[in-house]
Amino acid sequence: MKGSGVRWALLLPPGLVLLVLFVVPVLMMVVTSFRPDLRGGPFAWGWEPTIEHYQSVIQGGDFLPLLWTSARVALLVSFLACALAYPVAYYLAFRLGRSTALLLTLLIIPFWTSYLLRMIAWKIILGSNGALNSFLSFLGLTDTSAPVLLYSRSAVVVTLIYVWLPFVALPIYAGLLRIDRSLLEAAADLGASRFQAFRKVTLPLSLPGVIAAFVMVFIPTVGEYVAPILVGGTRGALYGNIIEILFGDGINWPLGSALAMLMLVGVFALIVIAARVLRVGRLIEAVER
Amino acid sequence: MKETGRLSLLALLMLLAVACGGQATTTTTAAVEPDELTVLEWAFYEVPEMWVEFGEANPDTDVVFNFGASDADIYAKILAGSGEDIMHFYTPYLQFYVDEGLIQPIDTTRLTNWSKVPTGFQESCTIDGVVYCIPWDWGFSSVLYRTDQIDAVDSWSALFDEANAGHVSMWDDGPGAVAIGAYVLGADEASITDEQLEEIKQMWIDQKDINLFYWVDEAELEAGFTSGDVWAAYAWNGAYYRLLSAGVPVAYADPAEGRNSWVGQYAISADTDSYNLALEFLDGKLGEQTATHLLVDYAYGHVVPEYFSVVEDENLVTALSLDDPGILDRTNFTVPISQEQHGSYVEMWAEVKAAG
Repeated sequence: MKGSGVRWALLLPPGLVLLVLFVVPVLMMVVTSFRPDLRGGPFAWGWEPTIEHYQSVIQGGDFLPLLWTSARVALLVSFLACALAYPVAYYLAFRLGRSTALLLTLLIIPFWTSYLLRMIAWKIILGSNGALNSFLSFLGLTDTSAPVLLYSRSAVVVTLIYVWLPFVALPIYAGLLRIDRSLLEAAADLGASRFQAFRKVTLPLSLPGVIAAFVMVFIPTVGEYVAPILVGGTRGALYGNIIEILFGDGINWPLGSALAMLMLVGVFALIVIAARVLRVGRLIEAVER
Repeated sequence: MKETGRLSLLALLMLLAVACGGQATTTTTAAVEPDELTVLEWAFYEVPEMWVEFGEANPDTDVVFNFGASDADIYAKILAGSGEDIMHFYTPYLQFYVDEGLIQPIDTTRLTNWSKVPTGFQESCTIDGVVYCIPWDWGFSSVLYRTDQIDAVDSWSALFDEANAGHVSMWDDGPGAVAIGAYVLGADEASITDEQLEEIKQMWIDQKDINLFYWVDEAELEAGFTSGDVWAAYAWNGAYYRLLSAGVPVAYADPAEGRNSWVGQYAISADTDSYNLALEFLDGKLGEQTATHLLVDYAYGHVVPEYFSVVEDENLVTALSLDDPGILDRTNFTVPISQEQHGSYVEMWAEVKAAG
């Protein structure tokens, strides 16, 4: 009895925070998405519910295709960020001795700077007089009259990968640390080469960390809107930008809420499907063994 | 140089303020103390230089400023009940506040400076014969261009000209895009039909091929002009003034369709307990000292022409076209639009941005 009292006392504060700052706003968003307009303010009551916003998004226009584009951009960013972070995490977990703490700190240092400033830094790097363009023009590959990469969806991808790298490296590093080293010794004793040991032991055992990192990047990237504004140019917009326009300048919270709900459902469906597929993959693996 | 540095810093701060959005904003409830006034403002207008007369007459009054990042942000805050006594917005938002009953009429007989405001500006605050606000700051929107790349610009269609491909920058704004589209099409800005809106949307979708980026804040646009990436852009006269002062070869078009002009307005909340103080604050905004700071420190126009003589900086005279008395007659003042029109313009712009 006493134990359960303590448990409730510990659960209550975070539970209340989640309820007030997460559950209630999400429910408000659901309700708002069925409002005809915002007349009377966000807390007005007595309006006639409608599904017109969902209909207008689903029936036509460029909004749903953009959601699919955003999902693909997010997949690309998550995949490349994981692929780039894995060797770093591997090096930190297996190859470094005493200096691990120092290098971990170095890895996290960019986090001490504002997200926005890191984005603006990329704008300078990719700009027409920036490091990339200057280098390319030095090689004679381009002239400096226009930026090569800035103001495009590729610039959005590059910037986001950079921003997420430390985020991705840490869960992979934690996953690699958990691997029992005696398994690697056993693999070596059984005659496995270093590469075979990595492929058969390290990689499969580190996958939970990689998947966690992947999901952690994928979900926020689908709704990303800052990077496209700063470096995306005319054709770099993502789904999040449309939601931002409708909530901001448009003062059209109902349509914005409907778009946000569709994204929520879409991302959730993708994650569920991915989880299913991965489990199926493991089943096959187990059968083959 | 020092001025440029200061302005860049201001611009950077503004960028941060915009990016931080709601986080940078503090909220307070309506003033209950009779000697306190709350104002929902844009960043940088809270400094005492921007309300000199009121500050001097009421040294003990506590003026509290809360901030909004955009017109939509300010409107949404008031609509949600943030409760400030005074709010500062731009054309064409006045109609929205009146429709929702959020503001109250201004007793202009109690404003000592009201008669100094030209009739055109007074009318920008008048709906059905009732004055709901005071006009205060104003400026132009037109095509800003680099004279070393483009010979001359005499039409808004320069923003759609293939010759400038890859070097054009449009402001990231739906209603602004509709106004320009209407000028180029020769349509009546005040009564855009669905077909015209569709045509304007297609114009901007096609324009994506020559547009480098949509600018969100002026610092970003000015950096584009300085680096030479941008040759022609939709711009306000503040950017023109700063680039001119920095020695960048730029000119500000006087398009055949006419420039556009926006007006900043102050209104008093329908629920205020401090109507008299608020009225005094508004009257002070029309005073000479405050106007001088607005003109000289921030390079924006003030609605009272008799104060213009304080401007000695030639670049500023050029940027505000103070030497061209006929300019306002050739200017299209932002027309009042309904919430439905505004909503459909922004939605049109969202579709332009979403299009592949």
